[in-house]
Amino acid sequence: MRAAVAPQADDLILSVREVKKHYPIREGALQRVVGHVRAVDGVSFDIRRGETVGLVGESGCGKTTLGRVIAALADPTDGGVHYSMDGEMRRIDRLEGKAAQTFRRNCQMVFQDSFASLNPRHLVIDLVGRPLKVYNEAASADLVERVVELLEQVGLGRQHLFRYPHQFSGGQRQRISIARALALNPEIIVLDEPTSALDVSVQAQILNLLNDLQKERNLAYLFVTHDLSVVRHMADRLVVMYLGKVAEAGETQAIFDSPHHPYTRELMAAKPDLEAEANVEIRGLEGTVPDPARPPQGCRFHTRCELATSACGWEVDDVIRWLEDAPGMFEHLVGVERTTEFAAELAFDNEDAAGLLSMAVRSEQVPETMRAAMRRLNLDGTKVEIEFEEVGEVELTVRDDGRMAACVLAPQEVASWKSP
Amino acid sequence: MTDVQQSRNAAGAMTADTAFRVRMRRLFGVLQGMASNPATVIGLVIIALMLIMAIFAPWLLEPNSPDPYQMPRDWGAVRKPPGTPGHPLGTTNEGGDVLYGVIWGSRTSLQLSLMVVGSTMIVGTIVGSIAGLVGGWVDEVLMRLVDVFLSIPELIFALAIAAVLGPSFGNIILALAVVLWVKYARIMRAQVLQIKQHDFVDAARVIGDSKLNIYLRDILPNAVTPVTVQATLDMGNVVLIGATLSFIGLSEAGIAEWGVLVSEGQAGIASGRWWASTFPGLMIFLWALAFNLVGDGLRDALDPRTEGR
Ligand SMILES: Nc1ncnc2c1ncn2[C@@H]1O[C@H](COP(=O)(O)OP(=O)(O)O)[C@@H](O)[C@H]1O
Ligand code: SF4
Ligand SMILES: [Mg+2]
Repeated sequence: MRAAVAPQADDLILSVREVKKHYPIREGALQRVVGHVRAVDGVSFDIRRGETVGLVGESGCGKTTLGRVIAALADPTDGGVHYSMDGEMRRIDRLEGKAAQTFRRNCQMVFQDSFASLNPRHLVIDLVGRPLKVYNEAASADLVERVVELLEQVGLGRQHLFRYPHQFSGGQRQRISIARALALNPEIIVLDEPTSALDVSVQAQILNLLNDLQKERNLAYLFVTHDLSVVRHMADRLVVMYLGKVAEAGETQAIFDSPHHPYTRELMAAKPDLEAEANVEIRGLEGTVPDPARPPQGCRFHTRCELATSACGWEVDDVIRWLEDAPGMFEHLVGVERTTEFAAELAFDNEDAAGLLSMAVRSEQVPETMRAAMRRLNLDGTKVEIEFEEVGEVELTVRDDGRMAACVLAPQEVASWKSP
Repeated sequence: MTDVQQSRNAAGAMTADTAFRVRMRRLFGVLQGMASNPATVIGLVIIALMLIMAIFAPWLLEPNSPDPYQMPRDWGAVRKPPGTPGHPLGTTNEGGDVLYGVIWGSRTSLQLSLMVVGSTMIVGTIVGSIAGLVGGWVDEVLMRLVDVFLSIPELIFALAIAAVLGPSFGNIILALAVVLWVKYARIMRAQVLQIKQHDFVDAARVIGDSKLNIYLRDILPNAVTPVTVQATLDMGNVVLIGATLSFIGLSEAGIAEWGVLVSEGQAGIASGRWWASTFPGLMIFLWALAFNLVGDGLRDALDPRTEGR
């Protein structure tokens, strides 16, 4: 385990610290900001020389956004990405001149869509040779030889120099993208779902290529994927994201052996591979991902978590979510007046509907833990006052075994839990 | 020079050559696509004939002196019908040779459309690019301006400007240029906004290329298709609108320009002298038709959904 060999300070390439990226939501003719999509909402982790960090999570959880912030394609709303330079950690969005260039050359990116990321009007020699031209590293005949070298490293060759991207298969195009990313001899490459659009067999070839290149060049990868099985054999460490936050982080093998976060467990079950199958019942993730503009209180996963306890952040929104699927009640709901996220007065257009709700939330119809979190329930004519225990955000904490997870449950409780 | 260097230089030259040939083949593919559409071919043939006519005008008919763009006056042969010796398409009220007007008028039309389309395309492309690239209040201001221009019908707007500036051929060019640049600004802005979202622009940013290079190498080349199509269509439309302005007397009397000839000849139609306005009118029609056919063909041939995929 890596923990045994304490990482040298100079091993560190990148340090992501409390990075947030919020996108404003604008509405109306005046384009007033009415809210924010909290695409990335406070994420921290490190990347060291030669290692692969797998960034995993369902689609929409903010992986691409975070990858783009790390590659300096977008500025963070808060927090920052720090890059190790001359023994110093420096924020990449504050670098200027030569230092900015050094970072730029050392952090490259491969995009998910191989077609969209290659200018359709450029020949392979232009595409792969471009980074060399930008930094005046090669010209004319020299450039050709350098490009050929790069192409050969990714399994292509001289015969491909004068072709357009559309003349290649998806896998070959991704090889071209990788060659372009290698041109400047970077320290780290952000790989945003580099194989997600490819057939399984082609996927394996690209993964092997990436593995070989990493060994030869001591490259670090941030491997972004929604598919845990892809990074299982690639990543040294995993960062599991859910709705803009880290749910769990640690050594890949350790996480696969015993996930400390219920979400990780479910992800593993959703994409079973042979070994995972033995440990976890296959059930797959249920329910939809909540709106990242209004993330759930407490633990963001509580709306879908089968292990949720009364301390996981039950809130007014959960009642409303439940109501949405409750015929005979939702259409009678006429108003929700919140005092906080945890307390509100629900107004109905008749007393029956209000009565039905106040009965329902006391009954088996809602999860027992939700009932347990309820502090107050008051039926007053057509109005139902409801109040839950206020819970702060469930933070990522260090567990006994040194790993990180953001869950109120102890690792043993997650491990011993069996699907009913 | 060592052998290695020599062979490398040779390789470099060969490379440039190969790249050039591959690009030419692509262009050829577009032309082939256009050639497979009969309507486009008809348009191209008409345009080619018009261009030949314009270029070789001095050899086809001796230029009138002192100003070849003025209609010649043969007071001994006024209102002659087509087929008159020396005047195969007849003459006007002032004894102007209609064939002269048709042939030299092609030069006038070419001048009009090239100047108007050239200037509006450049101005519109620059304004649209700035709006799309810079965004924010710059974009707001520029696009409000464009909206104002677009809210007034082209013909009425051009007419008003030409009327204010006074009747002259140069003022018609100016009026059309003032009116038509906004279309290109609109198209270009939309293109820039769309293309700048593409991953290949981010890919260029990741390798650290400059903003100017990204604009010139990634955004502009991928944005020119609709601008080119619009320009081709406008090559025809401009002559049509220009002729309309000439027709209502906003150009100079007596010049060898199709619209002016139609205008000056129309009074005679009632008395059976159809030729003085029909032949130039036919030329306007053919010119506008040809460029519209080619513009449509170009749009199909350059369509990214069909191009090369
Ligand atoms: N440019 C943007 N403007 C507004 N919202 C965005 C933008 N980019 C991403 N988002 C939103 O941020 C969230 C995270 O998106 P993304 O980072 O693409 O997730 P992932 O890569 O994990 O699928 C999504 O809800 C997405 O809709
Ligand atoms: S804190 Fe743990 S148990 Fe509670 S909802 Fe979140 S993941 Fe489930
Ligand atoms: Mg993504």
